[in-house]
Amino acid sequence: MILQKISKQGKGELAFAGSLFLLGIFVAWDTSKMVIPQGSSIVSPQTFPYMVAAFTSLVGLVLISDVLRGRLGTPDGAEPGDPFIAPSYKTMAILMAAIGLHVILLEIAGYVVSATICFFGVSFAFGSRKYLKDFAVSLIFALTVYFSFTKGLNINLPAGFFEGVFGK
Amino acid sequence: MGNSFSMLMDGFQTAFTPTNLMFGLLGTFLGTLVGVLPGIGPALAIGLLLPICLTVNPTSALIMFAAIYYGAMYGGSTTSILLNTPGESGSVITALEGNKMAKAGRAGAALATAAIGSFVAGTIATLLLAFGAPALADLALTIQPAGYLALIILAFATVGTLLGESRIRGLVALAVGLVIGLVGADLQSGALRLTFGNLNAIDGIETVTVIVAIFALGEALYLASRHTLVNVEVLTMSGKAWMTREDFKRSWKPWLRGTAIGFPLGVIPAGGSEVPTFLSYGVEKAISKNKDEFGKGAIEGVAGPEAANNANAAGVLVPMLALGLPTSATAAVVLVAFQSFNIQPGPMLFQTNPEIVWGLIASLFIGNTLLLVLNLPLIRFWVLLLKIPSHYLYAGITTFALLGAYALNNSTFDLQVALVVGFIGYLFRRFGVPITPLIIGVILGPLAELYFKRALQISQGDWHILIAGPFPKIIYSILLLVIIGPMVWNFKKKFANKK
Repeated sequence: MILQKISKQGKGELAFAGSLFLLGIFVAWDTSKMVIPQGSSIVSPQTFPYMVAAFTSLVGLVLISDVLRGRLGTPDGAEPGDPFIAPSYKTMAILMAAIGLHVILLEIAGYVVSATICFFGVSFAFGSRKYLKDFAVSLIFALTVYFSFTKGLNINLPAGFFEGVFGK
Repeated sequence: MGNSFSMLMDGFQTAFTPTNLMFGLLGTFLGTLVGVLPGIGPALAIGLLLPICLTVNPTSALIMFAAIYYGAMYGGSTTSILLNTPGESGSVITALEGNKMAKAGRAGAALATAAIGSFVAGTIATLLLAFGAPALADLALTIQPAGYLALIILAFATVGTLLGESRIRGLVALAVGLVIGLVGADLQSGALRLTFGNLNAIDGIETVTVIVAIFALGEALYLASRHTLVNVEVLTMSGKAWMTREDFKRSWKPWLRGTAIGFPLGVIPAGGSEVPTFLSYGVEKAISKNKDEFGKGAIEGVAGPEAANNANAAGVLVPMLALGLPTSATAAVVLVAFQSFNIQPGPMLFQTNPEIVWGLIASLFIGNTLLLVLNLPLIRFWVLLLKIPSHYLYAGITTFALLGAYALNNSTFDLQVALVVGFIGYLFRRFGVPITPLIIGVILGPLAELYFKRALQISQGDWHILIAGPFPKIIYSILLLVIIGPMVWNFKKKFANKK
């Protein structure tokens, strides 16, 4: 019943607040399962996590009640009372995919390949559609970073396909 | 006092070697470069540049760091004035008033008063830091674990409740930060928490990964989700970045007042640069003879808050160096930098690593001066950076942030963590939850537990020790006041709504 009254934005925030409450419960559950090594000191390693768990759930509950009473958070960069902008899950998904591919490919295909894909993907998510130029910029960025880090700063990055091509 | 002075001179000797001076110069350049980029505040700028610093020796690296610290702030104010996109909360006011000045064709004067004001404030505040921090460290040697715990709880309360639009949302951020801080093996018993059998998680979550991901990835995700990314108009600057005699006359008092407001509010855990800059703006507006100019581009409204912002940045270094307690996101990154060289800031720092800490303080002076000399002439170069199309800008920031997360341990686990934390950063922005309390929670949570355990070990498990003695009692009394205090701060919120 109450749910009908709150806006779409409110429902999202309610879910957020609810997960915070559940996070607290989860931390408490994890703490209760903790394997405590023999000969522990006066204060159990469980005491502090239990306090954090209780605090997290409490804060979650207060936030839930705040949202139910219509006190919603103001999105970053917006003024209170601005119209609600429905998030574009499509652009977010593209962005997450670009980052995710970087994470997966980094140690398989090497830094240059995965960073090029990531850079290209993010600029695509942000609306750039000049594919050839975007690709060139991505590649130049990845190569510049790769060489300034590996050769200039001696910080190793996975070479991947380029293993042996550029030496080292 | 006399001792501090001679130590400071030794510090200058450390900093004035050609190599270290070069690192200082490089730091000012890189700091400004990254700070100028829209959407990057000082904390993220330093976080992104951390891997670079780790390749040189500790003294040089920290000197470079000091330069980056001030450089990133200078860069941030340039962006605020010319682009009206404040990279962090401390520049909001500068964006408000400075951008109006720029639109009225007075960009040069706004940039000059910001730069010179930051220099004046930075120099005075660094001097106060040089004499204040060792004194505080001496005092801090007498503080017992229970007292430290009280200080940390005070920091939690102030950072959690003073930032953002509502107190509960600050505490939400703090709670999530505390949970992230729990991950890994308990320091004393070795018991595993929230690791889900993942070996990489045993050492805990890297703070730098959290900072870089929550700022860079969180912001990119948020902007992408709102698809409101339009290329903001960069205001052109005609003439030189300089001020007239009249501008000077109107600026110098706000600079000094801003310093007087910014520094003390940095020393006490008042939650970063937001409060002092708003306060300084309020003061300038209240006592100005040209009240009607405020909101339309009053130079006092740039001079005061910019000075307050810089003095505040030096102020937060006092508890960071002397107590090991960071009270802003930026100070937290500097603390992490110290820790990555196995140097633990705190009362002992001035005795165990005098060379490093005084070299750092001397570098703050040098960096501040270099910036004044470098920045005003280089301003046209920095403006070019603002013209990078935003899709390439965010692609670069995202990719570079992931690199920073990876390069720390060469582990993809850190990247997975970054992805999750980035999503949390998105949620926080969407629901108006401030970021800084999370970072404070991640860093100070484990410390709070450490002092909590130490206190109870001293008392053999008697919880009364937590409020025994005058020091904890004083701190907890202040805490009670702070809960009433936010009501006073509410004027700030009303004021923000009016703009």
